[in-house]
Amino acid sequence: MQSAAIDVVITNRRGRARRYAVVLAVLLALVAAIFAVTLSIGKTITPPAEVLRVLLGEAVPGADFSVGQLRLPRAVLSVLAGLCFGLGGVAFQVMLRNPLASPDIIGITSGAGAAAVFAIVVLSMSGPMVSVFAIVAGLGVAMLVYGLSFHNGVAGTRLILVGIGVSAMLQSVIAYILQSAPAWSLQEAMRWLTGSVNGAQLDQALPLLLALLVFGGLLVSRSRDLDALRLGDDMAAALGTRVAQTRMLVIIAAVGLIASATAATGPIAFVAFLSGPIAGRIVKNDGSLLIPSALTGAVLVLAADYIGQHLLPGRYPVGVVTGALGAPYLIYLIIRVNRIGGTL
Amino acid sequence: MTDHLLAASGLSAGYKNIEILHGLDLTVPPGKITVIVGANACGKSTFLRTISRLIAPTAGQVLLDGKSIHRMPSRDLARTLGLLPQSPIAPEGITVADLVSRGRHPHQSLFSRWTRQDDEAVDSALSATKTSDLAERPVDELSGGQRQRVWIAMALAQQTDILLLDEPTTFLDINHQIEVLDLLIDLNHTRGTTVVMVLHDLNLAARYADHLVALASGHVHISGTPEAVLTEETVRQVFGLESRVITDPISGRPIMLPIGRHRIANPQQQEKRA
Ligand SMILES: Nc1ncnc2c1ncn2[C@@H]1O[C@H](COP(=O)(O)OP(=O)(O)OP(=O)(O)O)[C@@H](O)[C@H]1O
Ligand SMILES: [Mg+2]
Repeated sequence: MQSAAIDVVITNRRGRARRYAVVLAVLLALVAAIFAVTLSIGKTITPPAEVLRVLLGEAVPGADFSVGQLRLPRAVLSVLAGLCFGLGGVAFQVMLRNPLASPDIIGITSGAGAAAVFAIVVLSMSGPMVSVFAIVAGLGVAMLVYGLSFHNGVAGTRLILVGIGVSAMLQSVIAYILQSAPAWSLQEAMRWLTGSVNGAQLDQALPLLLALLVFGGLLVSRSRDLDALRLGDDMAAALGTRVAQTRMLVIIAAVGLIASATAATGPIAFVAFLSGPIAGRIVKNDGSLLIPSALTGAVLVLAADYIGQHLLPGRYPVGVVTGALGAPYLIYLIIRVNRIGGTL
Repeated sequence: MTDHLLAASGLSAGYKNIEILHGLDLTVPPGKITVIVGANACGKSTFLRTISRLIAPTAGQVLLDGKSIHRMPSRDLARTLGLLPQSPIAPEGITVADLVSRGRHPHQSLFSRWTRQDDEAVDSALSATKTSDLAERPVDELSGGQRQRVWIAMALAQQTDILLLDEPTTFLDINHQIEVLDLLIDLNHTRGTTVVMVLHDLNLAARYADHLVALASGHVHISGTPEAVLTEETVRQVFGLESRVITDPISGRPIMLPIGRHRIANPQQQEKRA
């Protein structure tokens, strides 16, 4: 009896660890596969051998430009932005125990986007300064929404509603700035309205990589505390988590990720919002959602951009495709949360 | 046997702009069972939250072996002092074995591996709470009572020398209530675990407590042996209820019979109320 039960405990635990490893491996393979397809199959098909030669820095006539200058920066930026959105989104959702509490729903993405547009259009800034500006604005919005909705320690539906309001306001700020900038191309405008990786450059990847290392590293190092928060603040505290401190760090790190990605690609619609719940469906309770959600974000951006570029009649920026995917899920969630008060 | 000394002195704490605990002094006798009773909203859960450091005190302190808990490393504290909150949240779809394993949290770190000792702690927590058979079931699908036993198992898996429980018997039928309380006494006898729990049933409180504490509006109204604490006067002052206290023939402890407005057979009692 005793030994039978402990066997169940051990089998159960090993099963979780094994399934988690499989999930990570599959997601990684998926990212790699779509990345490879993006590099080799576009308007023209470049054989894998040639792609490889371009990647190794050889001069390959023809492929040089299409792979090295067009497809590679685009794919790299998609992966990095997807990782950032996926990671930042799920951190908020887990911390606040609500899938609707994602940064793109509660206004943080719009805040970073508005700040970036303002910095570029009005202040004529460029490069990493735009990211810094976006991060500061994102943090400002996070504090604002948090402050407005934190009533006696409970941040539930109130936070979502306040966030949706703030988000709508900031969206109109973006629209206003875009409208008063006459020299703006439609393509650029789309970037700030729904997100796009059109015209990606490799040097845009550097600030994103940096954000991923610093803020992503910070989040992952806190993954156990985040996991504990899923059991409620009281229980997390009882298990030795410093709840307030963890919250603060998670907010800073997640905003840093979201804002950096937004400054590079614009607010790619719903990726932050979708990645966590999709990863949650796959991972169940087998382990931390952070890395699976980051990988899911990368898959979403890569795949949606590929679909928008090559599989639809006409070309659409990535955010239009993710937006079309995310909207029905948002509606479903609102209905469901309304009924039962859901968690992730 | 453990004799960690937990004590609150002059403890004031609360939420954003209200103070709930006002200069609370309470010493938990080591190796004993302490039961806290008090009216709804008098600050019992707030007190436990302050001890688990979810809330920072505005005045006074909580001392563990003479050291302020607010200056101890969190994991050290969580390995000595466990808490089962009043309303913990089970992540959707989590299995019993998984949830109970979360109790091992303070014994692990980001890079440490799960050990045989962890498995054994989970196993013995499951069997102590008679939840071994549920190990593979999702927690969402359990009855309220089964779920409560699983949460208690999780607190047990933490293997702390001091265990605080906020209303561990809610949702349990009378048989399971007694079983849980007996289990805590067993734990106290075999491991010397110091138990502090909040109970609403005054009679069970008096029966199972070595040390009974009555809280009223954020401070200790009276504390001591059940005989000293559970009196008609205490019940009147703390709960605003008339009652009779007699001796329980089963345990020899005091037992309280409430006197409401109805269903009173003996006219003498009716007068007492009026
Ligand atoms: N998170 C919170 N924010 C603000 N006020 C709170 C919070 N939690 C509890 N309170 C208030 O603090 C007071 C004490 O609550 P507490 O939960 O400590 O009572 P309790 O003695 O445990 O009651 P019960 O027997 O109902 O569990 C109540 O007035 C309650 O409204
Ligand atoms: Mg309570």
